[in-house]
Amino acid sequence: MEIVVCIKPVPEPETRLRAAPDGRILDPEGVKYVLTGYDESAVEQALLLKESVPGSKVRAVSFGPSPRAEETLRAAVALGCDSATWIDSGAEPSPDPVDVARALAGTLRSLPHDLVLCGKQAGDDEAGLVAGALGELLGVPDFGYVVDLRWDAARSVFTFHRMTETLQESWEAPGPLVIGLQQAWNDPRTAKLPAILKSRKAPIDKVPVPAPDAHASRSRATTFALPPPRAGAKLIEYKTPEEAAERLVKVLREEAKVFP
Amino acid sequence: MSGAVLVVGELREGRLVPSVTEAVGAARAISGPGTPIVGFVAGPSTDAATKEFGRLGVPDVRTASDPRFDRAPVSALAAFVAQAAGDAGADLVLVPGTTFGRDLVGRLGIRWNAAAVTGVTEVQRADGAWQVRRPIFGGRATETRRLDGARAVVGLRPHAYAPPPDAPVDVRSTAVAPREPPANLWVPKRVAEEPVASGSGPSLTDASIVVSGGRGLRAPENFHLVDELAASLGAAVGASRAVTDAGWRPSSLQVGQTGKAVSPQLYLAVGISGAIQHIVGMVSSRVIVAINSDATAPIFKVADYGVVGDLFQIVPALTAEIRRVRSA
Ligand SMILES: Cc1cc2nc3c(=O)[nH]c(=O)nc-3n(C[C@H](O)[C@H](O)[C@H](O)COP(=O)(O)OP(=O)(O)OC[C@H]3O[C@@H](n4cnc5c(N)ncnc54)[C@H](O)[C@@H]3O)c2cc1C
Ligand SMILES: Nc1ncnc2c1ncn2[C@@H]1O[C@H](COP(=O)(O)O)[C@@H](O)[C@H]1O
Repeated sequence: MEIVVCIKPVPEPETRLRAAPDGRILDPEGVKYVLTGYDESAVEQALLLKESVPGSKVRAVSFGPSPRAEETLRAAVALGCDSATWIDSGAEPSPDPVDVARALAGTLRSLPHDLVLCGKQAGDDEAGLVAGALGELLGVPDFGYVVDLRWDAARSVFTFHRMTETLQESWEAPGPLVIGLQQAWNDPRTAKLPAILKSRKAPIDKVPVPAPDAHASRSRATTFALPPPRAGAKLIEYKTPEEAAERLVKVLREEAKVFP
Repeated sequence: MSGAVLVVGELREGRLVPSVTEAVGAARAISGPGTPIVGFVAGPSTDAATKEFGRLGVPDVRTASDPRFDRAPVSALAAFVAQAAGDAGADLVLVPGTTFGRDLVGRLGIRWNAAAVTGVTEVQRADGAWQVRRPIFGGRATETRRLDGARAVVGLRPHAYAPPPDAPVDVRSTAVAPREPPANLWVPKRVAEEPVASGSGPSLTDASIVVSGGRGLRAPENFHLVDELAASLGAAVGASRAVTDAGWRPSSLQVGQTGKAVSPQLYLAVGISGAIQHIVGMVSSRVIVAINSDATAPIFKVADYGVVGDLFQIVPALTAEIRRVRSA
């Protein structure tokens, strides 16, 4: 089975956020970009499938600038991905995720893929757009919010669950398929030191970004803003629990106006 | 540009889900009086939902009534939405902030050649284009985006817009007949479904009030304190990962980075310390209340109101007080 996992370099979770001088996007200055969140789960899911289906290969693909895209791909190789493709975006991108999907689709058309795994959403822009756009561009079904994706060899179908607001749905579908992953069936593994060292020398296939479609409608970021710092909680003063309850209900009704 | 606004419906047990009503509210709030608002709904039977659109003041509903839609992947449905948007002369499609809606937006953006965004809290017209605002980085920042081009698909964040008041009108429904999407898009099959464990109240992501419990409750048999507080408020029950990992409550109730993101009108955190992974799942709630015995717990930094105290005393008193004012 040929598995492709799409990974996005995103700022480490602890990053102090600050607008770039032009005020449009996050200031990338001094930010460390890493593999995190749902993408880590997507890599884990890819590796679990590879381990359970003999003869499988996992290719990690990332669109982004140097050096963060290569570094993130090396992290994926250190975890166990067999190969890596870097779509060089050129300078600091603040792209539309749908445009990213266009670039990924352009590259994937010439790479074998029975399964394309994405994270449910990226840790920075939280768009959750790439999997659906990629599915439409590749002409294959896509599913988001997927947990616990497996391969049923006897019937040649993927089986998986999806969580909606009120239901856990069970699905089955043959490949090729695009999946936006919520959770793998194990917690993401961590890379071992020898593998990390080896990944530093791993070959990374570099491909150019396809020419943008001039007619495509797209969105672009115009401002990046931090919410005003929260003042911290207004603490309810009280002598008895009953008094605490009464005062809290009063402020919620009269000041915060959250319930009648 | 003065095209129509198409609002994508979603059915649950034959009825429109609450987020769709909010999307109709958004359509009203952002468009001028002359702008037609058109509904779309697909399902095995669309009559009841069509009437509901009418009750909300939407006179024109495009329908795809077909048994296939009972078990259809969103990927096949996108062709019907795109066709309906085209038929209705829409330049904006509003999509509810549900799992279904989230899955639809990217696909529809390509299919309908429109700029596409999700998780939007505010839509505006500025200099001849749609402009949206959306929280990013788990609510730690917000961005505005400008949607270039003639068409836009906007996925809303739950509770960003209020449902409109009832304004009943007669409805005309028209069947949508798209160029049939490729056969492979129909192949995936939903083979089973079961209700996700939730409290008895509304589902976590729909609810306008959420009460979440954390490790401060100490043992699973104490969690009923949270359930009862939620019940008194008509709220959904959530939990920290400490609670779901320990198996006190199912993982479907987990709020946070690796669970659900919620943005209700009111979020009550009971015995939750406020780890960053929890915060990112609830920080965009409108009002946050924390009950915690440790005055230095980080949850008090993001909360609007706090009660420093023993939850085993405060929570029962609060439940009783809410019951009292509600019955008064
Ligand atoms: C990769 C990763 C992803 C994660 N994802 C999530 C996620 O999605 N959601 C999530 O919630 N967590 C997540 N976590 C875990 C997170 O870091 C915290 O460990 C977790 O949120 C703690 O849960 P808690 O607040 O219930 O427990 P604790 O941190 O143990 O806090 C318990 C609180 O209860 C208070 N307390 C104790 N007794 C009382 C009493 N009698 N009355 C009142 N207050 C009392 C204490 O003062 C304390 O503040 C994640 C962690 C990692 C590493
Ligand atoms: N620049 C990128 N390179 C590779 N994959 C990406 C990129 N951006 C997004 N993705 C994939 O698409 C998923 C959803 O991203 P988004 O739609 O931006 O929220 C991510 O979790 C990745 O799997």
